[in-house]
Amino acid sequence: MENLIHNFFNVQVYADVFPHLLRGLWTTVWLSAIVIPLGALAGLGLAVTITQVQSRAVRWAVIGYIDFFRAFPPLVLLILVYFGWPFLGVELDKLTAVVIAFVLNNASYYAEVFRAGLEGVAKGQMEAARSTGLVRWQALLYIVIPQAVRNVLPDLVGNSIEVVKLTTIASVVALPELLRAARDAQALVYNPSPIVLAAIMYLVLLWPLTRWLGRLEHKRIR
Amino acid sequence: MEANPILSISELRKQYGQTEVLCGVNLSVKRGELVCVIGPSGSGKSTMLRCCNLLEMPTSGTILANGHDVMDPKTDINRMRQDVGMVFQQFNLYPHLTAVENVSLALCKVQKRKPAEARQLAMASLERVGLGHKAEAMPSQLSGGQQQRVGIARAIALQPQIILFDEPTSALDPELVDDVLAVMRELRESGMTMLVVTHEMAFAHAVADHVVFMDGGVVIEHGTAKQIFENPQQTRTKSFVSRYSSRLAH
Amino acid sequence: MDGNSGFFYTFFNLEIAAQYAPALGAGALITLGTGAAVVVTGTLLGLLLAILRALDVRPLTMAIVAFADILRSLPPLVILIVLYFGLPEIGLPLSAFLVTWISLSLALAAYAEESIWAGISSLPAGQMEAARSTGLAWWSAMRWVILPQAVRRAVPTLTNRIISITKNTALGSVVSLNELLNAAQGASSMSGNPTPLMMAAMSYVIIFLPLVVFSRWLEKNWVRG
Repeated sequence: MENLIHNFFNVQVYADVFPHLLRGLWTTVWLSAIVIPLGALAGLGLAVTITQVQSRAVRWAVIGYIDFFRAFPPLVLLILVYFGWPFLGVELDKLTAVVIAFVLNNASYYAEVFRAGLEGVAKGQMEAARSTGLVRWQALLYIVIPQAVRNVLPDLVGNSIEVVKLTTIASVVALPELLRAARDAQALVYNPSPIVLAAIMYLVLLWPLTRWLGRLEHKRIR
Repeated sequence: MEANPILSISELRKQYGQTEVLCGVNLSVKRGELVCVIGPSGSGKSTMLRCCNLLEMPTSGTILANGHDVMDPKTDINRMRQDVGMVFQQFNLYPHLTAVENVSLALCKVQKRKPAEARQLAMASLERVGLGHKAEAMPSQLSGGQQQRVGIARAIALQPQIILFDEPTSALDPELVDDVLAVMRELRESGMTMLVVTHEMAFAHAVADHVVFMDGGVVIEHGTAKQIFENPQQTRTKSFVSRYSSRLAH
Repeated sequence: MDGNSGFFYTFFNLEIAAQYAPALGAGALITLGTGAAVVVTGTLLGLLLAILRALDVRPLTMAIVAFADILRSLPPLVILIVLYFGLPEIGLPLSAFLVTWISLSLALAAYAEESIWAGISSLPAGQMEAARSTGLAWWSAMRWVILPQAVRRAVPTLTNRIISITKNTALGSVVSLNELLNAAQGASSMSGNPTPLMMAAMSYVIIFLPLVVFSRWLEKNWVRG
C-alpha cells in the first residue's frame, strides 16, 4: 500500500513536477484553442457544401472526404503527416504538423454534427428568409446557421471535449502538451506519480465539462 | 357462492411527500361483480387502483387480493399479479412484438408454458376480443381501440381472478370507445370480476353491479348503479352525477 | 524536388511494400484482433452497467455514473498509460495487448453504458408497468421488453462510439503493442522510407471505412423503437 502511494500518489513529486505539468496544460489549452475553431469552421464549410450545393458529384465527393477522415485513426494520420511530410521536401515544424493532422481529422466530425444541425432546420426558414429579399448566403448566415448551431449545441460541445482529449496524441511526436510533460517528468524522477497527477489534471479540466454536457443533453431531450 | 370478496381494501392511505392522495379508502369487490369507480380528476381513483397490484406502494392500509396480502413483504408479488390483471389507459403494448406475442409473453416467461401452448392460449384470448385476424400485426399497425383490446387480451390470457381497468377508454377517439366497452361487457357476461375506473357514465349506469364515487382521496358514497345515478344521497355525489344526468336528459 | 515519379517512389514504393508486407500483415491481424476483443468486452460491460443502473440502487448508480464520467473525461491514451504503469505496481504485470484491451474496453464501456442507459430511460414508464403487471419478474421484464427496445434506440450512437474507440487500437503502439502502426513505424525507420506508413494508413482506412459507411447507413435507416 505504501508502495502504491509512494509510486503514484507521491505528494512530494507532485509538488516538484507541478510547474512543469502546468506548462504542459497550457500547451494543451492553446492547442485546443487553435484546433477547435479551425476544425469547426472547416466542418461548417463542409456541411454547408453538402446541404446547399446541388451537384450530386460534389456532395458525394465531400461525403467521401468526410468518411475517409472519420475512418483514419488520428494517431496514424499524425505520424504520417509528421514523418512523411519531410519526404516531400517541405520542412514542417511540429506544431503545424499536429494542427494539420488534427484539423483534417476533426473537421470531418464537426461536419457531421453541423450537417445534422442544418438538415434539422425546417426548409421553410430558408424560404421565408429568401422571400424577404435576403440573398442565399445572408439567409444562411443570419437565419439557418444560428438555428442549426443551437440545435446541435450538445454535440458541438461533446466534439470539442473530444478535441481536448485528442491533444494527448501529440505527445507521441513530443509536442510538449500535458501528457508529454508528465511522461518526461516521469523519466526524470523515476516515478510514475506525474502521470497520475496529469490524469487528475485532465479530470479537473474535463469532468465539469462532461457533466455540463450531460445537463445540456437532458435539457434537449425534454 | 363464497361470501369473501375477491378484492378487499381497508383504510388505504397514500402520501406523496406532504400531499395525502388517498385518505382512508374502503372498498370491496365480490366474485363476478363489475364495480365502477367514478369521480372527478384528482380524486385518487387511479392511485387506488394502482395500489391494488402494487404499481404504487401504499403508505398504510390493507389490501387483500384473492387471498394475497398485497402489502405483506413476504407475498410473492409476481404470483399475485397473475391473479390481478391490469388494463392501462395508454394501452402500453410492447411495440417491438406482434399482437399475439404481446399476449403470449407472460404465458411463456411467467407461467412457463411451452411456446405452442402459449400461442394457442394467446390466440384464444385474441379471438375473444375479436382480433384473431390481427395476431401478426405490430401495435403501430393497429387503431387505438384495437390496441386496447389487445391489452385486454393480454390481461385475460393469464386467467386472472380480477381485472383492474385504469380509465380504459379515456385515450380513445369516441368512435372507437364502443368496441372496447363491448368487449368489457362480454367479459362481465362470462363472469369475470372487474374493477373499472372510468369516465364513461352511461356504461357504468347500464352495466355496473356496484358504483363507487370517490372524491378527495376517500369514498364519498357507494351503492348500486341505480342508487348512485338516480338517487344519490351525498351532496358531492349529487353535483357530480347531475352533470351526467343533465346530458342524459337531452 | 522530383516530379510525380519521386512522390510515388517515396510513398508508394512497391519494392519496400513487398518487403514489409508480411510484418505489416501480422500487425494488422493484431489490430483486428484487439479491436474485435475491445468491441465485445466493452459493449457487454457497458450493457451490464446499464442494467445494474436500472436496478435503481443509489450507491450503485452513483458508482456507475462516476465510472462513466471519469472514463469519458480522461483521454484514452492517459487511461492506457496509467494502467500500463499502474498495473505492474499492484502486482499485475500484463502484456501490452492486455493493457490495451483493458483500457479501451473500459473506455468503450463508459460510452456504451451512457448510450444504452439513454435508450432505457427514453422508454415510457408504462412499458415496465405493463410487463410487471402481468407477473413478469424484474429481470424478465428487462430481458424481453425493456432491453430489446433500449438497445435498438442506442444502436446509431453506439456504432459511432465503437468505431471511435476501436480506431484507438493504434494507441497500443505507444506501449509497444506490435499492432499495425507499430510495425509500420519500425519498417519505415528501418527502410528510411515512408511507404510502410502509407500502407498502414491505407490499411486502416480499408478496415474502418466500411464501418463508417455502415454507421452512416444505420443513422439514416434505423427504425426507432
